[in-house]
Amino acid sequence: MKVDRRCFLGLGLGVVAGAVVSPPGAKLTDDLAIWTQNWPWTPVPKDGKVTYEKTTCSLCKGNCGISVRKVGGRPVHISGQEGHPVSDGGACLHGISGLQYLYGLTRINAPLKRNGDTFEKISWKEAVSHVADRLNTMRENGDADKLACITGKERGSIPELFKRFMKVYGSPHYYSMSDMNTTWRTVAETMHGVNADMGFDFENATHILSFGSGLLEGWGSPVNNFRINAGRKDKGGKLVQVEPRLSNTAACADRWVPALPGSEADLALAVCSVIMKEELYDASYLASYNTGFSAFTRLVASTYTPEKMESRTGVSASDIKSLAREFAKADKPLAVAGKGRGENAGDLREFAAVHALNCLVGNINSKGGVWLNKALEYLKFPEEKMDADAEKGLEKEPEPSVASLVEKIAESDSSQIQALLLEEANICYTMHDVDRVKKALEKVPFKVSFSSFMDETAKAADIILPAHTFLERYEDLPSDPTMSIQVVGLSVPVQKPLKETLNPGDAVIRIAKAMKGVIAENFPWKKYEDCLESGTGKLWDALSDKGYAVVSDKAPAKSVNADLSFFSVNNGKVLEIAGDRAEYPFTLVPYDNMRITSSEVVSSPFAVKTVSDEEIKGKDSFAQMNPETARKLGVSQGDRVKINTPAGSATVRVQVFEGVMPGLIGMPRGLGHTVDNPYVARKGVNTNQLISASIDPNTGQDAAFGINAKISRV
Amino acid sequence: MSKQNTHGKTYKFGMVIDLDKCTGCGSCMVACMSENNVPFKEDETDKKDSIAWMRVYKLTNGKSFPETEICYLPRPCMQCGGKGDHGHSPCVSVCPAVATDYGHDTGVVSQIPVRCFGCRYCMAACPYHARYFNWWDPKWPGEMEKYLSPDVSPRMRGVVEKCSFCYHRYQAARDKAYYEHREEIHEDEYQTACTEACPAGAITFGDLHNPSHKVHQLVKPDPHHSGRPRNPKAFRLLERLETNPKVYYISEKEWVRKAGDNYLEGEWKKMNKKHG
Amino acid sequence: MSELDEKTENGSVEATGECGTEEKKAKDNSGIGLGVIFFLVAFGVVFLSGWLLFPKLLYSEKEQPFNFNHDLHVYEMGSCDACHYVREDGSFSGLPDLYSCTQCHYEEPMGTTEDEKIFCEEYVAKGKEVPWLVYSKQPDNVFFSHAAHTEGAGMDCKTCHGHIGESKELPVYEENRLTGYSRDIWGDNIWGIKKNSWDRMKMDDCAECHEKETGSKGSCFQCHK
Repeated sequence: MKVDRRCFLGLGLGVVAGAVVSPPGAKLTDDLAIWTQNWPWTPVPKDGKVTYEKTTCSLCKGNCGISVRKVGGRPVHISGQEGHPVSDGGACLHGISGLQYLYGLTRINAPLKRNGDTFEKISWKEAVSHVADRLNTMRENGDADKLACITGKERGSIPELFKRFMKVYGSPHYYSMSDMNTTWRTVAETMHGVNADMGFDFENATHILSFGSGLLEGWGSPVNNFRINAGRKDKGGKLVQVEPRLSNTAACADRWVPALPGSEADLALAVCSVIMKEELYDASYLASYNTGFSAFTRLVASTYTPEKMESRTGVSASDIKSLAREFAKADKPLAVAGKGRGENAGDLREFAAVHALNCLVGNINSKGGVWLNKALEYLKFPEEKMDADAEKGLEKEPEPSVASLVEKIAESDSSQIQALLLEEANICYTMHDVDRVKKALEKVPFKVSFSSFMDETAKAADIILPAHTFLERYEDLPSDPTMSIQVVGLSVPVQKPLKETLNPGDAVIRIAKAMKGVIAENFPWKKYEDCLESGTGKLWDALSDKGYAVVSDKAPAKSVNADLSFFSVNNGKVLEIAGDRAEYPFTLVPYDNMRITSSEVVSSPFAVKTVSDEEIKGKDSFAQMNPETARKLGVSQGDRVKINTPAGSATVRVQVFEGVMPGLIGMPRGLGHTVDNPYVARKGVNTNQLISASIDPNTGQDAAFGINAKISRV
Repeated sequence: MSKQNTHGKTYKFGMVIDLDKCTGCGSCMVACMSENNVPFKEDETDKKDSIAWMRVYKLTNGKSFPETEICYLPRPCMQCGGKGDHGHSPCVSVCPAVATDYGHDTGVVSQIPVRCFGCRYCMAACPYHARYFNWWDPKWPGEMEKYLSPDVSPRMRGVVEKCSFCYHRYQAARDKAYYEHREEIHEDEYQTACTEACPAGAITFGDLHNPSHKVHQLVKPDPHHSGRPRNPKAFRLLERLETNPKVYYISEKEWVRKAGDNYLEGEWKKMNKKHG
Repeated sequence: MSELDEKTENGSVEATGECGTEEKKAKDNSGIGLGVIFFLVAFGVVFLSGWLLFPKLLYSEKEQPFNFNHDLHVYEMGSCDACHYVREDGSFSGLPDLYSCTQCHYEEPMGTTEDEKIFCEEYVAKGKEVPWLVYSKQPDNVFFSHAAHTEGAGMDCKTCHGHIGESKELPVYEENRLTGYSRDIWGDNIWGIKKNSWDRMKMDDCAECHEKETGSKGSCFQCHK
């Protein structure tokens, strides 16, 4: 027998026939098709029961009601909460990307202690006793007044606990970051003699005259303003935007009036002069409630006529007159100031001039007008027990603002501040002339950060006591003072803490308990939640039940005096921005973009993704300029240019945009972070590097809205 | 034309965006990303490969200072019905893999990523740039995978993805209706993530066939012309291509409406006269 | 004519010369016979390994954490939807989680079976979810609405899931080494033949029923996400 080709043929045919009538062929084809669709490294999100939990967002001061969708107990999506008095179903992009903060790349996992250039992990017990020991020693040495504390927020029980701690410790140096509401409060005090928050009833106003307020850029309570703007469009209300740059607010306004940056006060006074001259003011209101009316009339009639203000403001006399007539003849006119998002303190003279318009049309405490709301005082803590050390320390005067505190530290040789508590305030990013701030901080030998994230300021700290994110903690959150109604929202944990963090309220309670003397006695609560529940008193039921409590929703009594003597008394005290015009011929004005945060909170990866490629391209950010400006400089779209200001310099790309006034340079705020998160940081320039503080002679607050700059080609 | 589904009610879901109310805040874009497990990269400034199912474009009127005006235009997938509204959408008709398909029961153009093999014909065919290609495997750094939603399957490299009008929300609404033994879903039961998120209420979503739905009342779609808007302030993008989008825009501003298509000189005026 | 054929012819001539015609015939016959044998052997080996060995190679048997007596639970609880139910929002609960089980089972076993003891000691006491292997698990891109079928179309569980509810022991879980899914998706029959509606759970099976019941396979998005 010989194996020949037939055998092989038989073998081959046998194999084929066997394969044809047996399953592997068809089966493997099908399986392979499925196999090609398996991507084992692509995540398969786990399914489960869908639930919704309500809480309050505290990424900005808007404090919107949000609803967190959870799947099997795992948060997956954030949306607005229907029926919430602040946001009624709306949410902004930052709130919606809240889960990217919860799982943030720069979150601090546990308490940290500085060791040279790095941090080492320590336990909460060690961290608290370390801070307490240091503060005890300082106090025993009679240096209680050399402790300073800066909180990011101004109101609510967490800042209150820090404030209380500072008081019983015996230091006057408690500060919160200033913003436009600081200035509005000064206006209320100066022009009405009341201690009040100024709320704006935009919802019912029929004509809003805004002096650069970025009502659609994140001003005040952003989502509330978006809603009101949409309602205004439906109801036919008018918005007139005075601003040197075509912002989104100006784009959505019925009329855009570009005025030279920094001329808003003069423009407002010129509008006042027309109203006076043409007797368009509310005579009945002014007849009963006014001081300094005649002096004011004389001043504006002589100094601020439309004709005289034409060149100062860049607005024609006829436009000024039409602005005045449209405003004063409207059914419910309302004037508002606070540039951009209003995250910085404003120029008092400008705010007062704009508010003079409200006084002239008599809209104070009326529907569609300005409401002088009594400052929220819902928190009741037991009265502080003070000892001699505390009394003695408090005899010292505090500085008027964080800006002047930093200035004082920077100027002094031997540090007047030996320890600094920084509660969710990222001053190494958010303050003007940020390099100077960093240098000043280097002089403070002991800095404690209470941040959730390793931000620019936490990086400079000696001890970090990391905080829960807003989705992991309880907190009472008063609505933004610019809202006409006053609401307190409650933040509740929708997720168990992912890291070894604490509520900053708990952290300060623990530190206080580890302190000697009366300090511990002043913090009788076992934990922050007890303090919150007892402190909010009558509001607690509504807070814990609905998640918010409406404290007031009606206009206060109308009978409030309007004092216009400010201008005659303070005439000439004008805010100047830095830089000699001869050397620095352009004006750099940073602008706010809703899609980029510029507060202590860094934008999320989602938010950064939405930013236009004309604002960030690769690692570069852009400077907006009018085609005329670009022509003068000999640059075109995308070119790199160097911007020099008295505070610093930066290289950016040119964005040619018709909507900017010639001579003006616009740069987006909120870029150029240096945190360790490649998705959001090291993109573009932090405008705060380029801006120096401009101290308002009337208030001592840093009210810089820009700086003079020069530009050269690279 | 493929066979009609005979069970259950049929809809024609559509969206109306009021451009006068849109402030360009970006909430819709982020709500969409969060809802649909859209990933992000370190550098998202090359917008051609920056995946955004919903993208907000900035339009300008081209006039110089201070006559300049800007307007924001959110662009989801237009869910084109194609000529005659028969489901021959530009993308569906070119897909060699049936990875994208027209749902005759909803009017939604589907995209099944695992079925897609990445030829990108559909991207070339789409006149609205609504489709995006995954050049890389998506990554959720740190613990971010934990926030992914099970309702939308995460994609992989080499496939195309696009807006689905949050179809999973329609599915969820239908499930609820089944549970309650209802035939029809209510208007408020199925709303897309962007509609829900818009803080200005600029986006309206609903059934274009249903005269009681807001979308229908806003644009008054003309059934004889594949849903062309009868509201003179409403328009669709590139109307004359006859792609028959289900996304409508409304603006009082003429220049904005004009920006919805490419007109030859004098053409716009002539057309407007014709339509009154 | 090819070179090969010529060579073969020469070979034949040589053979004829040596062995004679008779032998040649016999050899030819045996050649055919050997070819047939080769064919049959090859066919047999491939055929049998295709039917018998291939499934063994393709599937790997995996053990469930412990046995689960569906029959007993259906008897005690009344019906399938006592544990696998459609939630009020229309979504399907799927496999009950540990919490649901502990509504009846505490750390102390109720009965005497070894399996319940494992459950109580290893899972209830430790608060660990049971890592069940799911016979009907579909790829992530599949959206299946239980509500549409059980509530909308009034189907029973058996139509797709068969007699699992009457079983006292869990069937062996056989994982397809290539796809990672259970053998139950393709069906027990390796050829893919199904006798009952619950024998298979592939897309074609869904489409077949949809075509029959609704007149259309449906659009992609109906079942995919």
